[in-house]
Amino acid sequence: MAIMAVAALFHARFPLLLRHSVPSTFSLSSVIYYRRTVPSNGLSTRLCSILRYSSSVDGGGSSSGDSGSVSDSVSVVSDVQSPNYLKFTDDELMKQCRLETFRVSGPGGQHRNKRDSAVRLKHLPTGIVAQAVEDRSQHKNRASALNRLRTLLAIKVRNKVDLDAYAPPPELLQILPPKSTIRTSSGSQIGPNNPKFVPGMQALLDVISASDGSIADSAKLLGLSTGGLSRLILSHDGLRMAVNSMRASKGIKPLK
Amino acid sequence: MIRIFPSLRFTSLLSAAKPLCSYSPAREPPQYASFTEAKSSPQTNSLSITPKTPLFLRTPSHATSLSEVWKWHDWAKDLASSVEESSTNSEDILDSVILHRELKWLIEDSIVDDPLVILHKSEIADNGEKNVKLRASLEELYDLWRQRIEKRRPFQYVVGCEHWRDLVLCVEEGVLIPRPETELIVDMVEELVARDEWFKKGFWADLGTGSGAIAIGIAKVLGSSGRVIATDLSPVAIAVAGHNVQRYSLEGMIEVREGSWFEPLKGLEGKLVGLVSNPPYIPSDDIPGLQAEVGRHEPKLALDGGIDGTDSLLHLCHGASRMLQRGGFFVFETNGEKQSKMIVDYMMSNDLKDCFSDLKIVSDFAGINRFVTGFRL
Repeated sequence: MAIMAVAALFHARFPLLLRHSVPSTFSLSSVIYYRRTVPSNGLSTRLCSILRYSSSVDGGGSSSGDSGSVSDSVSVVSDVQSPNYLKFTDDELMKQCRLETFRVSGPGGQHRNKRDSAVRLKHLPTGIVAQAVEDRSQHKNRASALNRLRTLLAIKVRNKVDLDAYAPPPELLQILPPKSTIRTSSGSQIGPNNPKFVPGMQALLDVISASDGSIADSAKLLGLSTGGLSRLILSHDGLRMAVNSMRASKGIKPLK
Repeated sequence: MIRIFPSLRFTSLLSAAKPLCSYSPAREPPQYASFTEAKSSPQTNSLSITPKTPLFLRTPSHATSLSEVWKWHDWAKDLASSVEESSTNSEDILDSVILHRELKWLIEDSIVDDPLVILHKSEIADNGEKNVKLRASLEELYDLWRQRIEKRRPFQYVVGCEHWRDLVLCVEEGVLIPRPETELIVDMVEELVARDEWFKKGFWADLGTGSGAIAIGIAKVLGSSGRVIATDLSPVAIAVAGHNVQRYSLEGMIEVREGSWFEPLKGLEGKLVGLVSNPPYIPSDDIPGLQAEVGRHEPKLALDGGIDGTDSLLHLCHGASRMLQRGGFFVFETNGEKQSKMIVDYMMSNDLKDCFSDLKIVSDFAGINRFVTGFRL
């Protein structure tokens, strides 16, 4: 439920819109370098830079506010194939993010006893923001925020699909119910609470988007009955909301 | 429960506050021949200190009717909501949103059953006659919550633990509560050892370890071949750190030694591959104005860094040049901004001029220039 609360919250702020321009501000300003010594004895391999974490006091981010040109419910399919962000490891994904913590102004560190270990991740290539506040350690909030980011990426970023030569990717096959006629493996169906559901959900949304929100057309491609696909969509709140906003933009009534 | 006497704490503070001139080999304890032989610390008073058991580890021996617990919860919520009007100093205010979150965590630590039976009273069909098992008596829970709000006792001392990275560390009065910022030190070490296995094999030291947080975090990222020595001047910290090390079954990797800064590291000159510390760095003049939770309850020994806050840091800079081997890494937490720049300048001048390479200032998540890192040349 918490995931959905966040998804709903940011749905309002971040339209279903894919941005390709990486903000030019993607320069990590968090490390200040002093003397750069290049030792002669091979030490240089040891001299690593530690700059994975950037931070910023800039709260909102400039790319989030300009939603005027596109209606909130429209998902923009890009002409260029975007990287599939869900395929990145946690570390790689983290490097594409700006991490922000919520804190009052002041010196921090030993000065403060601050129970607020909330974490906010801004995925710079897409402008999508995910946050987590409920855990007691910043470390765990970071992990939760990253999981939420994956869900939001799956929901908001649409990859282009060629319906004429469509072959469902394995991550999609494994979330389909066993009844599906295109399901080749006998492995059990991955349910909505499994983290592996998320990449499958993204691929499913890509198909539904390419089919202009039609459940019947998508179901055919996936070897399912319309009812079977509807049940799958309704099993995950974020998936249901994404499909319904897609349908709303095409003037089709929502699934219930 | 043994408390460190305030007078003792104050004396220790004085002895720690003059680090630059305090390095006199004659005063330091006898030399340790090797890591394994130095298992016992010369001052053993820490052994007589038994760390407190945090709430979440206590025996759930208090059967209490749900309706009574609900009554306590309603009272605690009201108290948490009422705090904001009563404070005038906006910098040092209790935040009721955070207090409500803490109350939820207090319940999580106190109850064996699902905390939801307390939190979601309206959804429970039960009329409250059922008993739930608590790890503290209701009377104590009233008292603890009053201490939190009226005495501004830090939440972490109230429940006796702090969640830090993926660890749950026992803490109590006399030991600094590890801060979220400091988690980054372990992240930096993790990244370093992932790139260069060399750092996994040698000795690391965490000086002024407090609860043992950094030492434990580092030991976990070093893997089974890692060796960490954690030192602290405070006997309470030594006892608590030792207890935390034990809870994570890291006795084979972390050795906790009592003593001031580098004193317990005799015999390891030029041998460390890594040195980390979150030393006291707050300028003395800032101590009286600290947030109540910090200023009234946390040990001054772990906070007060002398006139400009750099007393211990400067001592650590010199020690780093002596103790690290060639290529060895260090990271120190600082008060930020001005102070981190001062430390870097200091390390690039005078007799430390040719000791370090790649000095860097790394900022924390809030963008404050919090850490100074570098390598021994």
